[in-house]
Amino acid sequence: MSLLEGLRFSRGTSPVHNLDPRVKFLMTTVIFASAIMFLDLVPLLVILLVQVPLVVVGKIGREWAKTLRGGLFLAVVIFATNLLSFYFFRGRHLTSGMVEYALSLTLRFLVLITSFSIFFLTTSPDKLSLALEKARIPYEFNFAFITAIRFVPVLADEAQSIMDAQRARGLELDRGGFLARIRKYIPILLPLIINSIRRSLELAEAMESRAFGASRKRTNLYELKMGRGDYAVLIVSALALAAAAYIRFFMPPFGPLLPAFTIA
Amino acid sequence: MGIVNIRDLWYTYPNASEPALKGLEMTVEEGAFILLTGPSGCGKTTFCRCLNGLIPHFYNGELKGEVEVEGLSTRDNPTTELARHVGLIFQNPDNQIFALTVEKDVAFGLENLGVSKERMMEAIDWAMKATGISDLRHRATHELSGGQKQRLAIASILAMRPKVIVLDEPTSFLDPVGAERIFGVLATLNREYRMTVILIEHRVDLAVRYADRIIVLDGGKIIADGPPSEVFAAERTRLAGVGIPKIVELNRRLSRRGIALEGPPLTADLFVREIKRRLPRTGMTGPKRRSLPGLGGLTEEHLGSPIIEADGVSYTYPAGVRALRNVSLTIQRGEFVAIMGENGAGKTTLVKHFNGLLRPESGSVVVDGVDVSQVSVASLARKVGLVFQNADDQLFSENVEEEISFALRNFGFERDVIEKRVDWALNLLDIERYRKSSPFILSGGERKRVALASVLAWDPDVVVLDEPTIGQDHSQKERLRHFLMQLRTQGKTTIIVTHDVEFVAECRPRIVLMADGGLIADGPTERIMTDMDALKRASVLPPEVTKVFSKLNSYGFPADVIDVEEAAEMLYRRLREVGP
Repeated sequence: MSLLEGLRFSRGTSPVHNLDPRVKFLMTTVIFASAIMFLDLVPLLVILLVQVPLVVVGKIGREWAKTLRGGLFLAVVIFATNLLSFYFFRGRHLTSGMVEYALSLTLRFLVLITSFSIFFLTTSPDKLSLALEKARIPYEFNFAFITAIRFVPVLADEAQSIMDAQRARGLELDRGGFLARIRKYIPILLPLIINSIRRSLELAEAMESRAFGASRKRTNLYELKMGRGDYAVLIVSALALAAAAYIRFFMPPFGPLLPAFTIA
Repeated sequence: MGIVNIRDLWYTYPNASEPALKGLEMTVEEGAFILLTGPSGCGKTTFCRCLNGLIPHFYNGELKGEVEVEGLSTRDNPTTELARHVGLIFQNPDNQIFALTVEKDVAFGLENLGVSKERMMEAIDWAMKATGISDLRHRATHELSGGQKQRLAIASILAMRPKVIVLDEPTSFLDPVGAERIFGVLATLNREYRMTVILIEHRVDLAVRYADRIIVLDGGKIIADGPPSEVFAAERTRLAGVGIPKIVELNRRLSRRGIALEGPPLTADLFVREIKRRLPRTGMTGPKRRSLPGLGGLTEEHLGSPIIEADGVSYTYPAGVRALRNVSLTIQRGEFVAIMGENGAGKTTLVKHFNGLLRPESGSVVVDGVDVSQVSVASLARKVGLVFQNADDQLFSENVEEEISFALRNFGFERDVIEKRVDWALNLLDIERYRKSSPFILSGGERKRVALASVLAWDPDVVVLDEPTIGQDHSQKERLRHFLMQLRTQGKTTIIVTHDVEFVAECRPRIVLMADGGLIADGPTERIMTDMDALKRASVLPPEVTKVFSKLNSYGFPADVIDVEEAAEMLYRRLREVGP
């Protein structure tokens, strides 16, 4: 799933990476909200372009391109279904307004996946967990979140080893009918599950040995501190939101909230 | 009063019929370095769990007697409290790392204890320095090698500043160089920081030099306890089936013939020093060797037709790791080959080409005249049986019988043939009595045998064993060695992937050395195991006996001695010539 590539953190030390995760989340929300407010080509294009500097500064161009490529199929689907449904349900003819509308929806989708991938690509799970901690999410959930991420590569390796071992014993995963194939995954899933149970016991022992839950006042090696840059981004985001709202509601060319019903 | 005091310790796991520990008595002085060993299932791991209170707080069951660490009873203090006093490090490095970056993982215990950020930084700096991982500080934990991960696990425990550290077979998954690095770290902690170390290990050859006391556990009881030279020389230690350091073996053979060295020495270096005192430096004439130099030529060079031919094979994993570089290797029918090299050298990647699990990116692999790129894994697997390192990665059936017949059914054998083959395999590996047992209730060594049986059952021409000795105790290894010899006499082509030098020295196969994805040496055991340059490039440590003889060259001894018996014989003859 290359669409999900865009959600995988890529390490770096750019100013975008260093932003406070809370501020970055707010920024993402503002972009998200603005994209929802508009359904016209020009403002959506502006919102998309506004994000390009973030991609460049964050040095995540390649990953972003992967995300877009992964999202391409969905984008085409969005465009085509909208256009076709207009065509078939609105009297079998197309107007430029319809095309523009379908295009806008597609653009909105691209804006949304871009904003998400900027957030996740540049925010380390550790920082995310800190933000969760500040939001007073209980530490157990936080720990589970980090542990899940920590063991993704371990489990992937293990699944590969199990697959190799069973194929070496003549298991052919890609032969047989649909049900037969599903049954063939039993020799792979069972060891994976049993190993995971064993592993969880070992992990629990190791957690105890590392004083997990010893103190009610758990400390954290990392702390979130708002810097000047963070405040600046915070203010800019707030202003951008205000500006977007003003343009949307008080400047005549950008019609009512649900323009779809007005397209004739 | 020592730092650890154990009085009449008995423990029975819930639902177990027999106690795992039966009346242990032990006093550990502060600053001691204890090596604790014993056969699989002797209670070593249970003992570790008692030391930091996992027993009785995490495991229920019945505990009798007293365990005290730094004056704290493990019964009255929870594991989380004991963590500041005694640190436990486990076998599998992956299952004790919780954070995504190195620094954050070292901090984990301190965060749990609520230590302030400044003091945390101080402790982290120290722990990383003591374990030599300071340069890895900001690395992602999943990118580390096994050895680095294990050093991280030690650092993470050290950060909590315990006085005692307990390590439960910490080097099982590591190659010899990685293992030695761990032992080095422990030695530093012991000498420079006066930490008390309790090390549980099968690798006695490498570990013995650091320990000042050896404890042997068997059947839940301490059967020997004392200084290394005494314990390893004791008959009861030998009978328990634990590994004896090769140098101790050498001493024993010499002393049986009336030559007792001062000490007695436990390491190759000390042995060389002692033996040199007895030898006059006159051996320019060269020694009398019983026609041994030719022994290398005896290993099957041209037994039959080639069965595996790899030609210029290169392979790169999808993630971009270049695992094999232009590897060419021919294995003859009936040959016995050991592929050696450090972790990550490409050994497993190479053997995965033999049954088609991997296809060469360039070059070719031909198995029994068939190009692997042309046929399915299933049809190649009929010829080449690959037994993986971890038996748990393949066991899934309801009972052992089913497990063994799985592959036979996949290959479409007739029902009556399957029955016969299953019987045969069960007998071959001596697991007939577990026929109807679930593989999951068996011990680690037994599970390994089931996995082996499940591959041998279809009688492949070539048997490949990936790291068969990992986590195995001395008697299990002996058993495996005999089994390999048996396969060899049956004319089966056998390939083992391993970094267990002493095991290979005893099996004497043809050795293929790999480093960094390429072949760097290939030849009989005697030649490869004494080629110090090649061994060094492959990060393989020579056998202990070889270490001794590599330093006796100026006394006229040959350098290519790998066998304890042969070494003892040669030294004895020379010493007799010299006279008392």
